[in-house]
Amino acid sequence: MTANTVHDRLRLARATLTPTQVLSVLLAVAALGFVLVLFQEPTAHEAMHNFRHAAGVVCH
Amino acid sequence: MIAAYVVNGVKSGLVAGLVFGLLVALVANPLVAFAEEGAHVEHAGEAGDHEHAGDHEHAGDHEHAGHSHAEGALPASLTDGVSVLSGVLWGVFLGVVAFGIAFYFLEPIVPGSGAARSYAFGAAGFLTVSVAPWLAFPPAPPGVERALDPNAASLLYVGLVAAGAVASASGMYAYDRLRGDHGRPLAAAAGALPWALLVAVAVALVGVPSVAVPAGLPSDLAHGLAGLVAFGQALTWLVMAGAHARFHASDDPNRNAGPTDPPLAEEAPAGSP
Repeated sequence: MTANTVHDRLRLARATLTPTQVLSVLLAVAALGFVLVLFQEPTAHEAMHNFRHAAGVVCH
Repeated sequence: MIAAYVVNGVKSGLVAGLVFGLLVALVANPLVAFAEEGAHVEHAGEAGDHEHAGDHEHAGDHEHAGHSHAEGALPASLTDGVSVLSGVLWGVFLGVVAFGIAFYFLEPIVPGSGAARSYAFGAAGFLTVSVAPWLAFPPAPPGVERALDPNAASLLYVGLVAAGAVASASGMYAYDRLRGDHGRPLAAAAGALPWALLVAVAVALVGVPSVAVPAGLPSDLAHGLAGLVAFGQALTWLVMAGAHARFHASDDPNRNAGPTDPPLAEEAPAGSP
């Protein structure tokens, strides 16, 4: 049968992914998100300023 | 199976990111700079009483009263370039998180089927990532001072996105559970309930969101900027959903089916000699 409930998807992910794979994807995503949305270092903030305004992200 | 979903998410995010990056380059960069100039002139005039260092102890690194960009260290071409690149990466980020990871888990309960499913999920993504935080922080033109300090604002921002995600996912779950026994209209009403609740709570706590107009900026321009931001995010999600619908459909069903699926080709010969 296909994995067609949310529960099946979770089970399939548990069975086929190693913790290292999960961790590396989560870390990469967290790093990208942090830099784009939350990073407040003045130079970086200034450089991404227009983008954050354009995307409606809280930048102050 | 999961890898295929993540790859699709990255690809759709890249397509949407390129479109959004183009919007930043052609529209947002010049417009924000223009608005900033307007807001800045006014701030320069009242610089004396506008040095609100009192509520920002770290005024040195966070001089946001009038956006100290005139004397900024970076040339405009560089900040423009970084903003465009960030726009592209923003698309990739949303693509991976929403259509790569979240869609893999939630696909069974996303309303619709085929391409409609991608668009429904894109709409939920727009509501979750953009509209939910805008309930408390509507898109602000340059020069607007936030009432909260950056850390508290960021924390609240992330919290609102999380609340939006919970509302979207529980709405889909309710729709999925009720559709079979109670029909579509009731299921749709139940599915919309979590979001209605979120909006009601947000409005009760912080009031109806409105676009702040900083001194020195025409109110039309401020509202136009806010409209541009909303349009840009809606466009990003629409393009992402469209791209995802194509990529998802063109995936080989057997590759997508995952290891628990017995490939059809192997089942067929069972009865044959």
